[in-house]
Amino acid sequence: MFAIAPTRESQVAGEKQWAAFEAEGMPHATSLFRIALWLTRDQTDAEDLVQETLTEALASFHRFVRGTNCRAWLVSIMYHRHSKRRKATTRLHLVSDAEERIAETIAFEPPTPQTVTDEEVLGALERLPRAFQEVVILADVEEMSYKEIAAAIDVPMGTVMSRISRGRRLLRGELFSYAKAHGFGQSGKRRIFGVSEESSRES
Amino acid sequence: MQCREFREIADSYLGDELIVETNHEVIAHLEQCAGCRRELAARRELRRQVREAFIKAPENQMRPEFAERLSTHLHDYALGKRAPFTSSSGWRSSVRLSRTSWLALAACLLLAAGFGLMVIRQRMLERPRQPGTPEVAGRQPTPNNASGLNPGIPVSIVKTELARDAAGDHRDCAVHFRLAEKPIDLEVAGRKYDPVYVNLTKAVLSEQGEVPLGAEFVEAHSCVFQGRRFAHIIMRYHGRLVSFLVTEIGDSNEARANAALASQGVQVIACSQFDGYQVSCFQTARHAIFVVSDLPEGDNLALARALAPSVFAHITRAENAA
Repeated sequence: MFAIAPTRESQVAGEKQWAAFEAEGMPHATSLFRIALWLTRDQTDAEDLVQETLTEALASFHRFVRGTNCRAWLVSIMYHRHSKRRKATTRLHLVSDAEERIAETIAFEPPTPQTVTDEEVLGALERLPRAFQEVVILADVEEMSYKEIAAAIDVPMGTVMSRISRGRRLLRGELFSYAKAHGFGQSGKRRIFGVSEESSRES
Repeated sequence: MQCREFREIADSYLGDELIVETNHEVIAHLEQCAGCRRELAARRELRRQVREAFIKAPENQMRPEFAERLSTHLHDYALGKRAPFTSSSGWRSSVRLSRTSWLALAACLLLAAGFGLMVIRQRMLERPRQPGTPEVAGRQPTPNNASGLNPGIPVSIVKTELARDAAGDHRDCAVHFRLAEKPIDLEVAGRKYDPVYVNLTKAVLSEQGEVPLGAEFVEAHSCVFQGRRFAHIIMRYHGRLVSFLVTEIGDSNEARANAALASQGVQVIACSQFDGYQVSCFQTARHAIFVVSDLPEGDNLALARALAPSVFAHITRAENAA
């Protein structure tokens, strides 16, 4: 009635699945680790999260649509696992009125600094509210599209767009404040902005 | 386009997220505005710097030994040699609980234990004792966490050794073939050894020949693991091999005692874990039924519960006819 398949077949299938996953999914492990570390703020937790994510991805690799962004797919799985682990009480939610408040405080378009160090950039990024850090990292570091970010962190695309815009503006503002505090950009001092303080308000 | 408008959408322009028409407007504006060109170049440079600084940051680097262990783990997992999520810290991070949570958990366990004792006592009082029938309290409980998942379900009805054999058969037959005896066709085994095996595959598959929850049918046979005969139906679910196993408990006093429980209907429980395999089980009056895999416990149990109604009905019908 039903043929008895040799179990060797399942081993061969396993090897094939691993080969495909190794080529497509494993190159993103370092990327996943960076995001996991940002999410968990703990190296061991980040390693656990990466392992769980990749194990789950391997088990459901047949669902991955070839030709689409594998990294975005993996990041989605990671966010899903992370939110399951942390439960709803600790999940990051930024209420809309807080976003509006931030938007009001950053109506000024700060000019973009040109000669800041990596430490200053990371420090400024660290000082952003986490909801804004998150989208800036996913967009600018991991180079995910608005649509992919919206799917991964499970928020509407419009929210992603506004958070990215405000997040970048906040980042420029942080660096601008840093530069002002250290006397850069003033007359006679080293010019570190793409445009002068005056020209930033010209239009 | 004004400079202010440009600055609002400059990041979207850099991210290639604008529609074609707006892109053209941006380009037209940039051609005539040196200030915005400098601003765009500065923003592009800042994005590059954010990316490089974040990627290069020493704390963001993955440890090489972890990378190696991860690769080995996943490779083994793909070949079915390893259970999922056996990380270096085990479940440490996922089960880390605050002191308050531990106290709450302890209180819940105490309540559950008290409730369980009440249920057992009630059953003992309600059930007429039969000569030779062992007392419920005297049975060996299966070491498992099922009571937490299914409070009140008598988990001791399926013996530990049977669940261990089922996990062993899954490992030695479905995952790595190393059984001493060659499996035989399930229908042939049904005519020769146990009538419930006849048409068992049909009970597992729907009328359309599909396994519930979108699982994939692989094969059906009867095999022997350490002297115990099983009906063995192998499926693939979420990319993992799953064994559906049926074995006879026998016409023992215990089986007769269990008939009353089984008549209450099918009760599927997450029974145990052996060698990293999840075992979910249920039983009829004379048969124990197991679903074994290295899927997460919830997935394994969900599949067992999806399969249970039709299989329970089929086996009970065959038992009554025998």
